[in-house]
Amino acid sequence: MPEETIYRRLINNGVSRRGFLKFCGVVAGAMGLESLPPLVKSGLPKSLNKVKTDPVGYVAKALKSKPRVPVIWLEFSDCAGCTEALARSSSPTVVNLVLNAISIEYHETLSAAAGFQAEEAKRQAMKKYYGKYLLVVEGSVPLADGGAYCTIGGKSAIDLLKEAAAGAAAIVSTGNCAAFGGLPKADPNPTNAEGIWKLVTDKPVMNIPGCPAIPEVFTGTLAQFLVFGALPELDSLNRPKTFYGNTIHDRCLRRPFYEAGKFALSFDDEGARQGWCLYKLGCKGPTTYNACATMKWQGGLSFPVQSGHPCIGCSQPDFWDGGGFYQGQSAPLSRPTVATVGAAAAVGAVVGAGLSAANRAKKKTEKE
Amino acid sequence: MDWNATLEFARGPFFRVALIIFIAGMTYRLARVLFLGWSRDKVPSNGSKLAGVVKTYLKALLILPFIPWVKNTFNKNAVTYLAGGIFHLGLFVIIFFGTAHMLVWKSLLGFGWATVSYPVVDWLAAITIISMLALLVNRFVNPVSKMISGAAEYLNWLVVFLPMITGYIMAHHLWFRYETLFSLHMIAVDVLLIWIPFSRISHFVFYFFSRTIHGAQFGKRAVTP
Repeated sequence: MPEETIYRRLINNGVSRRGFLKFCGVVAGAMGLESLPPLVKSGLPKSLNKVKTDPVGYVAKALKSKPRVPVIWLEFSDCAGCTEALARSSSPTVVNLVLNAISIEYHETLSAAAGFQAEEAKRQAMKKYYGKYLLVVEGSVPLADGGAYCTIGGKSAIDLLKEAAAGAAAIVSTGNCAAFGGLPKADPNPTNAEGIWKLVTDKPVMNIPGCPAIPEVFTGTLAQFLVFGALPELDSLNRPKTFYGNTIHDRCLRRPFYEAGKFALSFDDEGARQGWCLYKLGCKGPTTYNACATMKWQGGLSFPVQSGHPCIGCSQPDFWDGGGFYQGQSAPLSRPTVATVGAAAAVGAVVGAGLSAANRAKKKTEKE
Repeated sequence: MDWNATLEFARGPFFRVALIIFIAGMTYRLARVLFLGWSRDKVPSNGSKLAGVVKTYLKALLILPFIPWVKNTFNKNAVTYLAGGIFHLGLFVIIFFGTAHMLVWKSLLGFGWATVSYPVVDWLAAITIISMLALLVNRFVNPVSKMISGAAEYLNWLVVFLPMITGYIMAHHLWFRYETLFSLHMIAVDVLLIWIPFSRISHFVFYFFSRTIHGAQFGKRAVTP
């Protein structure tokens, strides 16, 4: 029996055709799909091009013909914040449809079942959809002491990850913890936590970092996987270029103040009230790649820098160790202590004096 | 290549080590200079040493930069004089009054200060870079400069020029990703810090020693410094 297509499933769940097309438009929007540049550039005849450059039509065609993509969602050393952000997302239509109607098969936080039942459901899903499911991971994997710092159902996180990764078509790490290790990996990293892409090397791994990941970015990328059946184009840190192509600084609404050299010096001075640049208050916007400044949060209401707080760089690797949140970005990450500086000065002086004395003694003996 | 990791290295351990080498190197040079010793100045005192020191600094800071023709260098090699002056002024303002640089000082010293507005620093940086290029060309063109320039001089020019040009491109977000330029800028600065004590760039400290000593000697002899 052929598998039920996404379209058929939605219609069976009471979605009208009009509703379906609307949904396709939303999905295309979520993917940032204004047109299909690869097809336009491919040199196809114009007649074909015309049809295929309509993103909604393209999405509709894909969803009509493709079966749903099963998703298995694992949580390790995390705070469930990425799930919470998704579940409370301001665009519940997309999130609900993408996650519930279309895909989700197993999710520890959202699952009604618990304990052995839930584990059994996961096992069955993994067996049934072997080689086809998308594995979403939230949270880092602690490796110290045989993985003892995170176990579920008596199995360590690393074993669970390896087990689930074996049958996955692709892996999506959501949030900074799963992507780059996040908070658990912060110095001194007591549990030896590590991001997923360092642990699974034989499967395509896509990172959607952030703390939490922007819900619309997550669903947008998931939608892209549904429509195209493959992961989107990634940058050097395996992040989708569509959403992580620009820095916060590049798209910041306070950027003109940076260019003009107008900076807030504290959180309640005149500059802060005027909405000036937060660079001096430690903003990490120039080195942080994410879609906050364009997609924003809470349905486009605002994002940290707009609300008056500097960017902390939560979509970058090791951002917890990237200097203080309120320390200027240009400041060095590590400074020698006063004792070290004193010791260095003393060593220099002693070596200098020693060499001078030796030279002097040598000259004296030569004279004699 | 993972520029984030490179940046972390250049801002972190590499910077720390460079700073320690810089400090140890400078005290080493200082000890070597001091232990050279100097012969007792047996000239009978005809005036105040302090007055001589004050005068020499006033002349160096207020007269020489603004009334160039009293200085022989200006008459013989105007490019060295003018471009050199602009370059030093620019470097000083950029390093101490550029916003990003002040934040570095703040993190090292624990206190900050007001900075010069970005457009001013930006234009000054452009002029400083042009001055440096003029100075380099002058070294090739002017026969005397050419004669006294060796590998060390060109290397000195390069290690100062690299932080300047990478910083300028970074501040303008040109061509490369920000973290790439930031990494290159920091690496260039770290190399400069290590290179300073072992080169004539250390004159940024020792200049003041020689000015003070010569000023005092002139003052004692009651001659105009």
